[in-house]
Amino acid sequence: MSAKASNDNLTQNLLQRAAPSRAEFEDLVIVPIFAVIVALAVGALVMLATAVDLPTIGRSYIALLQGSVGSLNALSETLTAAAPLVLAGLGLALGFRAGLFNIGAEGQIVIGGLAAVIVGFSFAGLPWFVHLPLALIAGALAGALYASIAGWLRAATGAHEVISTIMLNLISYRILDYVLRQPFIQREGRADPISRSVLDSAELPQLLAWIDPNLRVHAGILVVIAAVVVVHWILFRTKIGFEFRASGKNLDAARYAGMRASFTIVAAMASAGALAGLAGANQVLGVLDRASPGFSAGIGFDAISVALLGRSHPVGVLFAGLLFGALKTGGRQMQVDAGVSVDLIGIIQALIIVFIAAPLLVRAIFPWGFRKPQTEPNE
Amino acid sequence: MDVELRGITKRFGPIVANAEIDLDIRAGEVLGLLGENGAGKSTLMNVLCGLYTPDEGNIIIDGKPVTFDGPGAAIAAGIGMVHQHFMLVPVFTVAENAILGIEPTKQVDYLDLAAARQQVNEIGDRYGLQVDPDARIEDLPVGTQQRVEIIKVLVRSADVLILDEPTAVLTPQEVEEFFGIVRSLRDAGKAIVFITHKLDEILEISDRITVLRGGRVTGYGDPKTLTEQRLAEMMVGRPVRFDVDKAPYNPGDLLLEVRDLTVLRANDEIAADHVSLEVRSGEIVGIAGVQGNGQSALIEAITGLHRPVDGTIIFDGQDITNVSVRARHAMGMAHIPEDRQRTGIIGDFTVAENMALNSYYDERYAKGMSIVWPAVATHAADYVADFDVRTPSVHAKASQLSGGNQQKLVVARELSRDTKLLIAAQPTRGLDVGSVEYIHGRVVAARDEGDGVLIMSSELDEILALSDRILVMFKGRIVAEFDASKQPVDRNAVGLAMAGSAPRAAA
Amino acid sequence: MSHTMQYLKGVAIAATFLIGSAVTASAFTACQVTDTGGIDDNSFNQTAWKGIQDAQEQLGIESRFLESQAETDFMPNINSLLGGQCDLIITVGFLLGDATQEAAQANPDQYFSIVDFVYDPPIENVAGQVFATDEAAFLAGYLAAGMTKTGIIGTFGGINIPPVTIFMDGFVRGADYYNAQKDASVTVLGWDVEGREGLFTNNFESLDDGRAFAQNLYDEGADIVLPVAGPVGLGSAALADELGIDALKIIGVDADLHLTDPEKGHVYLTSILKRMDSTVFQVIEATMNDMFEGGVIVGTLENSGVDLAPFHDMEELVPDDLKAEIKTIRQGIIDGSISVSG
Repeated sequence: MSAKASNDNLTQNLLQRAAPSRAEFEDLVIVPIFAVIVALAVGALVMLATAVDLPTIGRSYIALLQGSVGSLNALSETLTAAAPLVLAGLGLALGFRAGLFNIGAEGQIVIGGLAAVIVGFSFAGLPWFVHLPLALIAGALAGALYASIAGWLRAATGAHEVISTIMLNLISYRILDYVLRQPFIQREGRADPISRSVLDSAELPQLLAWIDPNLRVHAGILVVIAAVVVVHWILFRTKIGFEFRASGKNLDAARYAGMRASFTIVAAMASAGALAGLAGANQVLGVLDRASPGFSAGIGFDAISVALLGRSHPVGVLFAGLLFGALKTGGRQMQVDAGVSVDLIGIIQALIIVFIAAPLLVRAIFPWGFRKPQTEPNE
Repeated sequence: MDVELRGITKRFGPIVANAEIDLDIRAGEVLGLLGENGAGKSTLMNVLCGLYTPDEGNIIIDGKPVTFDGPGAAIAAGIGMVHQHFMLVPVFTVAENAILGIEPTKQVDYLDLAAARQQVNEIGDRYGLQVDPDARIEDLPVGTQQRVEIIKVLVRSADVLILDEPTAVLTPQEVEEFFGIVRSLRDAGKAIVFITHKLDEILEISDRITVLRGGRVTGYGDPKTLTEQRLAEMMVGRPVRFDVDKAPYNPGDLLLEVRDLTVLRANDEIAADHVSLEVRSGEIVGIAGVQGNGQSALIEAITGLHRPVDGTIIFDGQDITNVSVRARHAMGMAHIPEDRQRTGIIGDFTVAENMALNSYYDERYAKGMSIVWPAVATHAADYVADFDVRTPSVHAKASQLSGGNQQKLVVARELSRDTKLLIAAQPTRGLDVGSVEYIHGRVVAARDEGDGVLIMSSELDEILALSDRILVMFKGRIVAEFDASKQPVDRNAVGLAMAGSAPRAAA
Repeated sequence: MSHTMQYLKGVAIAATFLIGSAVTASAFTACQVTDTGGIDDNSFNQTAWKGIQDAQEQLGIESRFLESQAETDFMPNINSLLGGQCDLIITVGFLLGDATQEAAQANPDQYFSIVDFVYDPPIENVAGQVFATDEAAFLAGYLAAGMTKTGIIGTFGGINIPPVTIFMDGFVRGADYYNAQKDASVTVLGWDVEGREGLFTNNFESLDDGRAFAQNLYDEGADIVLPVAGPVGLGSAALADELGIDALKIIGVDADLHLTDPEKGHVYLTSILKRMDSTVFQVIEATMNDMFEGGVIVGTLENSGVDLAPFHDMEELVPDDLKAEIKTIRQGIIDGSISVSG
């Protein structure tokens, strides 16, 4: 064999992709699944400790399942609840990938939703295929601008984004209160801060209303799917995504490689804000048809958990968002059927995150689910 | 105290890190343990320190077999290790560090610092290890910090001292001093294990030598009769060439011109102080100096990672003082960074991604907004094959590669582009002999093809072996220049200049 | 993974057996969706829930409730009570107006009743329960004006919506009436009846806000404060508890807070009762007897839908003259000789 041929052969071997290792599989799939199981088990213990009897605990978990996936209406509600969580979670995941711990999704949802609602009730007479995209874009753009304030502060002055986004969240609530009381925005005849209603042409239409008008799942879920695809593409297929990931993993190496740190920070924050803004738009155009104080409903904070649970991967975020949506929806059924407080769902969500963050604990509880631990040689 | 290791075998899954290793450590002797990275030295020493339990074999102390169930047991048995990376608390004093974990206390947990001070002074007097017990670690030079590490071990009454690559951080002069300390410890009856991959040092300090390769003992030796050549063969498994073949010195046009460059550190101290230098095409300019004398800052300024406060940098006829890193890349500047782990690669990224780290945007890899990953992978595979990077696949994570192969990855990335000037900072730090040989060959090849090369290293041997001209930096200034293009430069003269005590030597 | 599946299966089977006997069909089920603030808010949601509990005791109905944690929960909460499991869905609060309307129009066969909201035009399957709270608040305003030592009293609200501000209207007008009768000059801080502006926490949850707003009013000289914000007022009560009732007294709303908040019970001068429990009970009873009627039920002083709670611990502190005057005014409001709407 000639040297050239053997070289080609070597190159071919080098291009082979190793099968995903068992360790990766454990980390990405088994740990989250077990974390959910352990969290549910601990949730049952919490119920026991608060004097809930065993039959009720059994009934509440059956209700959790039925209420989240047990019927068409349950599925519709789960998707409706998951949509904004996934959108905002995608934004946060993008930020995490770029090394930015953006706590500001809540504020970005508020500002994005506010912009979307204003566009949504203005421009009467526009056809829906112009008006709806316009309102969505307005939401994304407003969220992006709001988030880039924190990005710019970080890039220009070094102000840490955790602090600045928390502050921007608080500011956004006040902006919302103020704007909702302006005469052109406040609903006629109301003294409290509440916006006019979104026009039909800007509403995200219900998808299954032809079966039953109570099925609330709306076209926002299509926006979500598109967003998952787009974010995946940006992160793993584009130059800017490469820059995000490089900056997030190793800022020194990114600078060495000639990536513009300031640009990356602002761009990552703006993209994250755009997605959170879309989440806000999704809520006002698809669910509420209006904006009022508190319409963000803590989604921006739940989305942090969603992004963490989804390991900052677009597909992971999708599944994590669906899980959290299901928990939220199933939690209602739990309260209705078993009288168990919906606060328990908050506890279970928190426990899932704790166990995800402590994989060693999960491994210790389910030793048979994992390969035997191996000490790696450290040379 | 004598320690024997008999038939030690340690496996990690399918990997055998140590195979049936026998080792004799005797009181009053320095045992040199030689081996490339990955030869099993650290695993063996971790077995001796009680961090690992061997799968087979015994540890015998003074004729009695012992088992260690943890590092504590090994320390109690009198075995102490001085790690390559110091384990000191920077804001504590010498005395506080020395007693960390075994603090002498009086009533009510009252810390008896006076006793600690006294211990430090006693040990210092006995072994020639004088250190001010009240000095804070962060204020001490590296060589002195190392003494504190040794004192720490001695405070715990160790009779066997394991020194892991102790000279890596020292200047030639400090190495000499350090050898004095090692000898006095030996003469006081301590048993010393001296781990290194530097051949000259092991020949100088050891009483006996054991060489490891691939987890097995491949040779025992007497330093009086062994040569560096023979040792290297035992270590690498084939004959090794130390001298580098270079084409005759034939410098071309001026490529890089640095004028009065002043660079500040983060704390506004002056790092590089009005430095001027020139690099022509077809020559290797070496910057020698003990770490921390401004070389790093100078390199960072030239490569665009750090803004200088004063002076100009002219590259290929253009003023690039305030030009972005990417523009410098585009002009043909290649940069092998000082710290490959921190700057050179992203461990969580694949080999292919790392191969495209600073050129993902050029036409080889990118189309519009997207990166064409198949193209990245095929190019990466070519370069991997070309530069002999040992990796199972270009889709393997860079962190899974050994240090030498990570560095080859960086070199491959930088030299696979069309470059004019190569700036290499510590290009072979921590690498084994085989990798050093390879990288040196590549650097010289770049020079022979007409690239200018600016190389910065704290390893004087490396500078001497490669450079056509040598500049010595001390306290931010270039204090000496040597012409190495015609005849070899006097090693001592350069060493003295590095220590700041040389008159400005004429070229 | 097979282990996991077996495990899950086991749990599911066990659970099915456990609940098998627990579900029994019931004659009548009343369901409640709360506003934010929770079912145990000592005030608004709790009072309405009490109506259902009373019906449970006296009429033997089944009951369910769902707490809203945020506004986005209103729709889905109502939604998950649809589907025939509830004979009557009671939504508590003005802010649920939109969600209730939407659900009622989509499900014309389902009976709804909403507290604090009136639809114009009325919806056939919704019974609105509203209250002439200003009648009782008028008495409270008069009482506070008569009791203040500093000559300054204060109020603040949750959100600037009619069911909140109606308390504040009555309170201010009651104090004004006192000033007019006695030629006094008691000032009421926190609400401008004409300008429709005042102090609002903009939520019905934050006890911290309740404390801070009461502190602000106290700093401005008020020694009696009326918080109209559900559980937010509990924060004001905590402040009064610390300052002592000589410095600050609180007037409760919705329920008799002396009873529902026993720990801080002594700080309440009185409470403005909004007897949602009684109207909720009425609607349930009517629905059970097939007498459900869409439209409006109004609670007034006359039909005991609103009232002033007893003074309890402060019985001694309130002068007998003042008590007598309040009794007279109360009668005047009922017979129409005194107008509470200015």
